[in-house]
Amino acid sequence: MTAHFSAAGLQNLEGHTDFDITWPWTLPGGLRPGATAVLRVKNEAPSMPFVLPPLLRACDHVVVVDNGSTDDTSAVSRAAAERLGRADKLTLLDYPFEVARAGKEHLAVHELSVHSLSYFYNWCFAQVRTSYSWKWDGDMVLTTEGEASIGDLGWQVGHVRTNVRVPRHPLYLDGTGRFGYLDLGLFNAEEWGFPIGPDYIYSKAFEWEIRTTPTDSRSVGLPNGLCVELKYLDGDEFAHWTDPASFAVSRRNRRKRREWEVYHALQDGVVPAGVVEIHAPEGVHIVDHVTRDWLPHAPRPLQVADVPLGQVAPR
Amino acid sequence: MTTPQQPPAVPVSDLVGKVEIAPDAFPRKVLFVAGAGRSGTSTMAGLMQIMGLHVPKPEVAADETNPKGFGEPQWVVDLHDRLLKEALVQVSDSRPDAWFETARIGTREKERIRVAEWLDGHFEVASELVVKDPRLSWYLSLWRVAAIRAQATPVFATMLRPPAEVVGSKQTYYQNRLGSAHLAASWLNMLLHTERATRESVVDGGRVFVRYADLLDDWTKTVMHVGETLQLQHVLQARSEAIRDGHRFVDPSLRRMTQTLADLNLPPRLHELTEETWNELNKLAEPGGDTPAVHEALDQLREGYVELYEEAEAISRSSVVAAEQKTRRAQQERPAPAAPEAPGFAADKIPHGLRAAVPPGVRRGLRKALGRAR
Repeated sequence: MTAHFSAAGLQNLEGHTDFDITWPWTLPGGLRPGATAVLRVKNEAPSMPFVLPPLLRACDHVVVVDNGSTDDTSAVSRAAAERLGRADKLTLLDYPFEVARAGKEHLAVHELSVHSLSYFYNWCFAQVRTSYSWKWDGDMVLTTEGEASIGDLGWQVGHVRTNVRVPRHPLYLDGTGRFGYLDLGLFNAEEWGFPIGPDYIYSKAFEWEIRTTPTDSRSVGLPNGLCVELKYLDGDEFAHWTDPASFAVSRRNRRKRREWEVYHALQDGVVPAGVVEIHAPEGVHIVDHVTRDWLPHAPRPLQVADVPLGQVAPR
Repeated sequence: MTTPQQPPAVPVSDLVGKVEIAPDAFPRKVLFVAGAGRSGTSTMAGLMQIMGLHVPKPEVAADETNPKGFGEPQWVVDLHDRLLKEALVQVSDSRPDAWFETARIGTREKERIRVAEWLDGHFEVASELVVKDPRLSWYLSLWRVAAIRAQATPVFATMLRPPAEVVGSKQTYYQNRLGSAHLAASWLNMLLHTERATRESVVDGGRVFVRYADLLDDWTKTVMHVGETLQLQHVLQARSEAIRDGHRFVDPSLRRMTQTLADLNLPPRLHELTEETWNELNKLAEPGGDTPAVHEALDQLREGYVELYEEAEAISRSSVVAAEQKTRRAQQERPAPAAPEAPGFAADKIPHGLRAAVPPGVRRGLRKALGRAR
């Protein structure tokens, strides 16, 4: 079965009625125009001060759903919004259930379980009250041009049924705040923008969730160089996966294998082919430097080319 | 007798917190003059040009519809024409979805590169540019990205003129090809979305709304307000001769239309939305009038317009189907152009059944030998 057969909402298998899902378009008053970014986060406190400001400026609303953080993700998020003077645009919520990790663990869980990634996503997006949404991660930071583009597209889509693809580039951080390694050796442009409505809800895929889309849905892609994904070389970047075997074979997981290779190469002190080493000027954080200066002013079109896997030779 | 006290010897800049910037240090800034056509956009662009902002050359030549000139770079007009055609959007387009169609084109990397390079090239000539075209609103996002790439600050001036006058002016100058309801709806679509498009974005340096009537009534006051709000150095430091030229340029008789909204006989709901939108836009032109409350009111009006348009579109579906059928029939009845003499291939004269009997490998070899793909 797939979840989208339910017209009014979803009831979870465990009977947690306070976490049943009511589709927002069925609520009195319906959806208002505009775009909401939805972030499902777990232990993203270091990233949120970089992630939230562009989103809060560009979107009509931002929903951050904390799923069992043991750091101060929520407090840091609130503080970031207050510093910007846009706390009114931020909604902080908690989803208290343990959610299956991507891969085999996810595959084993029914999609109507509160532990399912697809149920979790549906619950998160059911909190949206605008007609358009951005699925966002707690480590994705928009560049200046990315912020302007997302901000404009958020109202330009209007009532058009369209997805928006946003290329993103991993930015590995060494913990000093001065050095970064931008991976331009992998082209990755996933769909992040979706209308809110009965034709655009989450269902189950093999390793993770998938947003269903109608066959007549349109699709627009933004250019490269508008978004980076922060990766911490001193953190566990693969904790949300069951195990490396879960992304070892399929074409679908090529991106994850590239990340595995680059992450371990950088930890060994090797800068792999396709990765650009960037130094921030004195007094500027590397994330600010890359998103506000380096990428916005990099020659266009930004050269992003897939580096064959298994060839993590230094440049 | 007391001695008059000497004023303290401090620089003026310390008193007012502002300093004069030398012309070679003016930061890169581009003023986008937006608004519906026939709303005084040419007068605004012309005045800015007189003050010293640079209109990239060559410009569109003046004609009888605009005897004082348009202040429009020809390259920009050509670009917008091409992009609008590609998006199947008209300059006066009343469809709310048209904003997505033009936005889609603006996400293309090749267009972003093209516009950014053009802008960057003109910043080599001057530090403050003015870009104006009645089609500009459709591509403001693209221009904003170009400004980011050219390391410039975009600022926006939107011209406001009573919708009845705009519609009347368009009907007069464009020979009344379009009905007043369509023109009023297009004005609504344009202005409601231009307002949304110019709300503060990450790199913007501000925006102003200017009533055409104010510009004609006292252009010095209006232009200085624009210059101060948007920190346009050429306006702030304009020379006396430029001010004289401004007086020579502005002709209050340019505002020839005095129609009222009632004269247009619009459908009641359209009339109401147009009137309310005009009232709200007027608030934006007042000092301190660009407030969240006005934005919210305009958001509701935009939503109201989208609903009205969707209703009208649903009701008039039969007209669209009939027009499609008429076009299709016209295409069918058009005599087919004579087919050019195609170079004959002997294989084409062999019946299909016989050709099919030739083994695929042999067919491929023969095609290769003849240099044919199929």
